[in-house]
Amino acid sequence: MTARAWLRLVIVGGRISYRALFNWTSPLMYIPTLLVSPLLGTLFFAYLGRYAGGRDDTFYVLGNGLLAVAGPCVFGGMMALANERRYQTLGAVLGTPAPRGAILVGRAVPYVGNGLFTAVVVTTLAALMLRVSIRIADVPGLLLAALAAAASCTAFGLALGAIGMRVRDVWVISNTVWVSLWLVSGANVARSALPDWLEVVGGLLPISHGIDAARAIAGGSPAAGLIAREVALGAAWAAIATLLFRTFERSGRRHAALDRG
Amino acid sequence: MEPAIEVDGLVRSYSATHGMVRRRRSTVEAVRGVSFQVARGELFGLLGPNGAGKTTTIKILTTLLLPTAGTARVCGLDVVADTRAVRTRIGYVFGGDRGLYDRLSGLDNLRYFAELYAVDPRGLRARIDEVLDLVGLGGREGDRVEGYSRGMRQRLHVARGLLHRPEVLFLDEPSIGVDAVAARELRAVVAHLVEDGTTVLLTTHYMFEADQLCDRIAVIARGSIVAEGTPAQLKDQVADDRVVEVQVFGIGEAEVARVRAITGVTSVIVEDHEQAQALIVHCERSLDVSAEVVAALDGVRVGSIATREPTLEDAYISLVTAAEDG
Amino acid sequence: MPRRLVRIWLLQVKQMSRSSFEMMGAVLLPLLFATLAFYVLRAGTHPHALLGASIGAGLMGTWSTVLFGAGSAIDHQRWQGTLELIVAAPTPLIVVLLSLTLATTTVGIYSLVATMTWGAILFGVPLDLVHPAAFLVAIPATIVALATLGLLMASTFIVLRNANALANTGEFPIWLLSGVLVPVALLPTWVQPVSSLLAPTWGVRALREAALGGSPWRAIGACVLCAAVQLALAAVALRRVERRARDRATLALT
Repeated sequence: MTARAWLRLVIVGGRISYRALFNWTSPLMYIPTLLVSPLLGTLFFAYLGRYAGGRDDTFYVLGNGLLAVAGPCVFGGMMALANERRYQTLGAVLGTPAPRGAILVGRAVPYVGNGLFTAVVVTTLAALMLRVSIRIADVPGLLLAALAAAASCTAFGLALGAIGMRVRDVWVISNTVWVSLWLVSGANVARSALPDWLEVVGGLLPISHGIDAARAIAGGSPAAGLIAREVALGAAWAAIATLLFRTFERSGRRHAALDRG
Repeated sequence: MEPAIEVDGLVRSYSATHGMVRRRRSTVEAVRGVSFQVARGELFGLLGPNGAGKTTTIKILTTLLLPTAGTARVCGLDVVADTRAVRTRIGYVFGGDRGLYDRLSGLDNLRYFAELYAVDPRGLRARIDEVLDLVGLGGREGDRVEGYSRGMRQRLHVARGLLHRPEVLFLDEPSIGVDAVAARELRAVVAHLVEDGTTVLLTTHYMFEADQLCDRIAVIARGSIVAEGTPAQLKDQVADDRVVEVQVFGIGEAEVARVRAITGVTSVIVEDHEQAQALIVHCERSLDVSAEVVAALDGVRVGSIATREPTLEDAYISLVTAAEDG
Repeated sequence: MPRRLVRIWLLQVKQMSRSSFEMMGAVLLPLLFATLAFYVLRAGTHPHALLGASIGAGLMGTWSTVLFGAGSAIDHQRWQGTLELIVAAPTPLIVVLLSLTLATTTVGIYSLVATMTWGAILFGVPLDLVHPAAFLVAIPATIVALATLGLLMASTFIVLRNANALANTGEFPIWLLSGVLVPVALLPTWVQPVSSLLAPTWGVRALREAALGGSPWRAIGACVLCAAVQLALAAVALRRVERRARDRATLALT
């Protein structure tokens, strides 16, 4: 396959597969699920924070604003693979000679963009509603942190989706992970305040280093190392996703498990 | 020239687990030593009842399933070792109405698979229009697939299988669940493809479809090929028979045994129809056993009786029942 | 009618207990909510509020279960093609949905017990209740408050394709408005009247006052009253929604 065909598969194929497999493309679903819900979550935790009296609103706005990438990235990345099961198209896709790497990258790209978009919208609106000010000079850094979080989170979602090619109830995992992230990502509780093992789990899941980076940027500390860590974590999850995909593809051919309803 | 498809001693077994508490494993042999060859440009039919091993065979040939033993080559390429090269040369169409992205339009379904097959982007739209025309979906390609009828979905499946001009096309029960008119149009499309030089392997359990379309047929039952040849050759296998078909109402085991015991009768099959049953008795050509059959049916309500020449369907049914009894 | 209600309720509880999704959510989520609430509140200056946090987290779990239970039940029925059959059946839709919602709420009671136990064991939250009798009465009252509110929302799910996705959005507002963790008095003044119309707000208040001291019986009364209004509204909404769904053919997928 030529480099051009590879790129087309990523860009054109990725765009079509997004419309085919993402359940929440219509504005009627997209806005409430991916924008309003995390925005309300931010308000909920900010008010909880005010009541508890520990942290200021900025802490919650940045934490939950970045956490907003989880909607499109965890769930979207998952749908991008697991929904093949719903339409029973996995056999048709795997029967093609298309390079699997290009299929995976193509499916990831729209969700990364989506994640960045939701993080920007939710953070901006929450900041306006709670009167939290963000310095213009910090914006590029915050965008970078959000992009890194979106990328690593999508890789994580794809790994879940690869599992979903084989396991029917992968939604159980994703839902639990999603709520767990409220706690372990450090969005609402400083990770250092958590028990050691939860702190470790949080550090292995996406977004937490991105949130640390965002808060460091707003606090005027260097954040490049934290962003790099989020990116490295994303690369690791991408490797896991690819490995799982290939493993399930291979074992599917061996055990006739493809397209089982 | 090498054959388009060469299958040699193909075996596929599945292991299944039973029971919730004590897990027991058992092995089911879906395909047990299948061999056949399909020449370039030929339309080859794999005919058999449900569960005979047709889909398993086709899944192995389309690289979606690994064989337990034996080899299969498509266009001279091994389906296990040269997977990607095989995939670029084949098209795969399966029956039923799943396997499409419901939320996308027919056009976008085709576009997506065109990318997956790396169809040249310059001629892409023209090629899509061409396959849409071929299957008769032109004009409806902009609609979402969720609104398509079964027949339209099936045509879209076929169009998708043809996008990259495959040398070999696999059609797995393409007319299943499709109405009679749509099935006839589908057969016309298949016939057209073969005229253009595409090799087609078709599985079906519709006799007349195989009879009408196929150059050669292999009858598969319980994982093995029980007969192979042109439709005419298969009919010849039962050409020495005469068939007596009796319409009966509520026949029992005892009566069937009595009919079977009549001298000259080679096989007896009971087919369930809506309100009645059809008793199909094969006997030697030189004998007319109608009278004996009616006598053996004493006590059973009998409808029409006809004596006729054997058809391909008779050949098929006697082959399959022989395999399943044995 | 009550017998049919009970039978549908039993069937629904059975079906839910067979789906690992529902069970996992019901078992794990409340514990996560409680842990989250404890850590956020412990980080602050209100350590005495932890019993309130146990109760609040329990109700968060209950509400999630009601919301997702109703949403996914309707989605499932739609996918299985049984939603049309239910509407077509002679049993009024509201009876079917109420028993369905009550079933999810039953699982939700576990949520309250679990968070209080979890809090007591892991975080040393004291379990001494000021008005234990009122607390026991407040539990069913709050359950009914949540169930009838869930029913009201479920009536909108029937006309929508992805009810589950919308359920996502219904979690936080009710958590905020009913004051499960944050006292309603801290919210902007313009939302406070809305809060006081929601039956769960009074349920939360009843439970908190029964546990921590106050006048729980008044809150229980207000809770039951508001729940009755919610039920009446749900009945009206359902009748309209059902007609609309039949009109626009949104009951089935095909």
